[in-house]
Amino acid sequence: MRIYVTGYGVISSIGENVEETLISLRSEKTGIRQGQKTYTERFKVGEIRWSNDELVERFSLTQHASRTALLGMIAAKEAFKGHELLADVKTGLISGTSVGGMDVSEIAYKDFLNGETDDLNVYRNHPSGTTSEQIAKELGIDGYVNTISTACSSAANSMMLGARMLLNGQLDRAVVGGTDGLSQFTISGFRSLMIFDDEWCRPFDETRKGLNLGEGAGFLVLETEETIQKTGKKPLAVLSGWSNASDAYHQTASSPEGLGATLSMKGALSIAGLKPEDIDYINAHGTATPNNDLSESHGIKNVFGNTVPPFSSTKAYTGHTLAASGGIEAVFGILALNNGSLLPNLNFSQAIEETGLTPVKNYSEGNDVKHILSNSFGFGGNNSTIILSKV
Amino acid sequence: MSDLKENLKAQIIEQLNLEDLTPADIQDDAPLFGDQGLGLDSIDALEFIVLLDSNYGIKITDPSQGKEIFQSVNTLADFISKNQ
Amino acid sequence: MYFIQHIESITHQDSFQKENLWSILKPLEADHALISPDYKTYIPAAALRRLSTILRMGIAASKACQEKVALEFDSISVGTGLGCLTDTEKFLVTINTVSGDILSPTAFIQSTHNTISGQISLDLKNHAYNMTHTQNAVSFEVALMDAMLCVDEGKKSVLAGAADEAIPFLDRLRGSLIETTHPFTSGATFAVISSDKNQSIAHIRACQVIFSGDNPEAAVSAFLKARQTELTDSDLILEAGEQFASFGAKHHHFLDYSGYYQSASAFALHLAHDWFLENPEAKNALIINNQETGKLGLTLVSRNEA
Repeated sequence: MRIYVTGYGVISSIGENVEETLISLRSEKTGIRQGQKTYTERFKVGEIRWSNDELVERFSLTQHASRTALLGMIAAKEAFKGHELLADVKTGLISGTSVGGMDVSEIAYKDFLNGETDDLNVYRNHPSGTTSEQIAKELGIDGYVNTISTACSSAANSMMLGARMLLNGQLDRAVVGGTDGLSQFTISGFRSLMIFDDEWCRPFDETRKGLNLGEGAGFLVLETEETIQKTGKKPLAVLSGWSNASDAYHQTASSPEGLGATLSMKGALSIAGLKPEDIDYINAHGTATPNNDLSESHGIKNVFGNTVPPFSSTKAYTGHTLAASGGIEAVFGILALNNGSLLPNLNFSQAIEETGLTPVKNYSEGNDVKHILSNSFGFGGNNSTIILSKV
Repeated sequence: MSDLKENLKAQIIEQLNLEDLTPADIQDDAPLFGDQGLGLDSIDALEFIVLLDSNYGIKITDPSQGKEIFQSVNTLADFISKNQ
Repeated sequence: MYFIQHIESITHQDSFQKENLWSILKPLEADHALISPDYKTYIPAAALRRLSTILRMGIAASKACQEKVALEFDSISVGTGLGCLTDTEKFLVTINTVSGDILSPTAFIQSTHNTISGQISLDLKNHAYNMTHTQNAVSFEVALMDAMLCVDEGKKSVLAGAADEAIPFLDRLRGSLIETTHPFTSGATFAVISSDKNQSIAHIRACQVIFSGDNPEAAVSAFLKARQTELTDSDLILEAGEQFASFGAKHHHFLDYSGYYQSASAFALHLAHDWFLENPEAKNALIINNQETGKLGLTLVSRNEA
C-alpha cells in the first residue's frame, strides 16, 4: 500500500508559504540575516520577522499561543487547506517539537527569578504536547494527537509514525511534521555547545565552524490509497521509505564512522524497496557543525559507495530549524520532485579533505528526479531518514 | 604552582560532578581524557572552558584548542599561569 | 498479541524489582519520597555523575528489564509528559544568572525530552528504533501504542515505558498548568512487550487515546464494546479519579499510590499486570487515564489463557 502526500505547508525565514519558498530556493536567496529580536540581535539567524501577535493577526489564527504552536498552526493550516473533516476519514495530527512553548515560558520564568510577578497562565503553553493540541484544534482534528520529541529528527519521526499508523489502519489520514520557534533557551544552549558560527554557516565545507539557528514549521498531509478514493485528493508525492536508528555513541556527538546515519539510510531504502542507485538527490541533515557533516559524509559513503548522488544541505538557506527541519526539508523535497530541481548547498567552496564530497552548488530544474532521500539527525544519536518519490 | 594545581583539582571535581574522587586521586600528569585517565569526554571539555572562564577569567573561543590544554592537570596549570 | 514479558517501576512506592506490587503497596504517607535503587549497580560512574533523577530512573528500570529478557530490544519507545524538568530549570537559571557567553552546556544537553530514550540506547549500546513521545497526561499511552505497532510490524522485544520527575516549581503551577490535589511525585515504569508468550502472565489487549472526551462514559463503553467486553466485566478498574468507582468488581484511584505525575498511568499498567498474580480468578483489568479533562487514555489488560 502506498502512502500519498496530498498537502504541504511551510513557513521559514525563506518564505511564509510553499510558493514563496520555491521562489527563494530558485533565486538561491538565504533567509539568514542579523537577528531582530533582543535574544537574536547579536547573531545571524533564520528568523521569521513577525512577532507572535503579528503572526496571529497576519495568518488569521484563532488562538494566542507560543511561537512554536503558532508557526505550526500556519504551516499545518496551509497543508490542510482544501481538505475536509469527514466522519469516515479518521484523521490524526502528529507534530514534532524540541522546545515546545519555551519562548513564552522562559519570559515568565525570568520574571519569577527576578522576583517579579510571573503570569502563571503563560506556563499552560509550555508543554510540547500542548503545542500539538493547539495546532490540532486550529484544524479541528480530534481523532488522535501526538507529539514526537527527538530533538532535530522530530519532524522526520512524526512523518514516519504517521505513515506507519496509516499502513496499520489506525488512521486514514495524518497531518504530520514539525515546528520550533526560536527562544533564548535554544540560542544559549547551542552557544554553550560552542557549535554556533557567528558567520554564515557552510555545510559540508572544509572551513565550516558550526551552525546558524533558524525557526519555522513544515507539515504534510498523508493519505492512503483508500482514503484518496473518499477525499478525491490529488497526490503530490509518495512517502515511500522511512527509518529510525540509534547511533548509541555519545550524548551529543555523532559516531565518526556514521553508524546511526548508515543504519537509518539503509533502513529507509529497504522499506521503499529501492537500491542506492535509485536515489536522485539527497537532502542531507548537514548542520555545518564539524562533527555532523563529517559523520554524515561517512554515512553517505557507507551507503552509496563511490557513486554518491547529487546531495546538499539546505541549512544555509533556513538555518537549522531543529525539530521543524525534517518537515521543512520534506516540503523542499516535494518541490524538487515536482520541478526536477537539485537544491544548492549555499556558501560551499571547499570539500571536506577527509571525504572529498562536493555537494550541489547551483539551483537547477528539469532534472530527472524520481526519488529523494532526506536525513534528519538529533541529539542522543537519533537518526532518521525518509524517502519521497514521484507519484 | 602547586597551590594552583590543588585548587584546580578541587574545581575539576566540582565542575564535573566527580563526587567519588578527592583531589588526591588525580595525579598531576595523569591523562584527564580517554579510558587511560579519568575517562572524561567532549562535554567535559566544554565544562573545562567554563571553569577557565569563571575561575580564572581566561576565554577559549575555539574548542579545538582544548585538546592540548586539557591533557592533564600539569598542562592546564601551565596554560593558566601563562595566560593569567 | 502483546504479551508483557517483564515490567519494572521506580516510584514513591518500594516498587523496584518486586515480585508483586500489591504486596508492598500502601497509600502515600505524608513523608513519602522517591525510593531509588542503588543506581551505581546499573549505571557506570562516569555516566551517572551527570544524570538527573528522571534519567537515572529511566536507565535503571530499562536495564533491569533488559536483564530479564533473552532478546536485545529491537525497539525503544518512551513517553514523558514534561520531560527533564531538573535540567530544563537548571539551564533556565544559568541563562538568566550567568553573564557572558560561556555557559555550562550539560544541563542544556540533558534538557531535551529524548535524553531519556537516548541515554537508554547509549547505556545498552542499542542501535534499534528509538522514539520519544510527549502528549501531556497521555504520553505513556501514545508511547505504548507505538510499541504495540512495532510488535505488529514484527519486532520481537519491544521496550515501552514512561518517566516524569517532579521539581518544587511545579507546586506553583497547581491550578494553572496542572489541576490536581495529589502531591507531585516522580516515577518511571518500563515494560518489555513481545508477540511471543514465553513466561508472560498477562497481555495488553488494546490501548487507545481519545481527544474528543466530553462524554468519558460513552467513550469507555465504545472502547470496550469494540473489544467484545463491557465495564461490568472488568475485575479491576484503575482510574485517575473516582468517576468509574461504581463499575467493576474492584476500583482504585491509582494516583493515591503513585502521586501525581503525567505518565503515572504507566505505573497503573504495572499494577494491572500484578493484579493477576494476586487474584487467580481475575481476567480483565481496565486502566482509565482521565487525569486531564477532555482527554482519555484507555488500556485493557487481560490474563493470558493457560
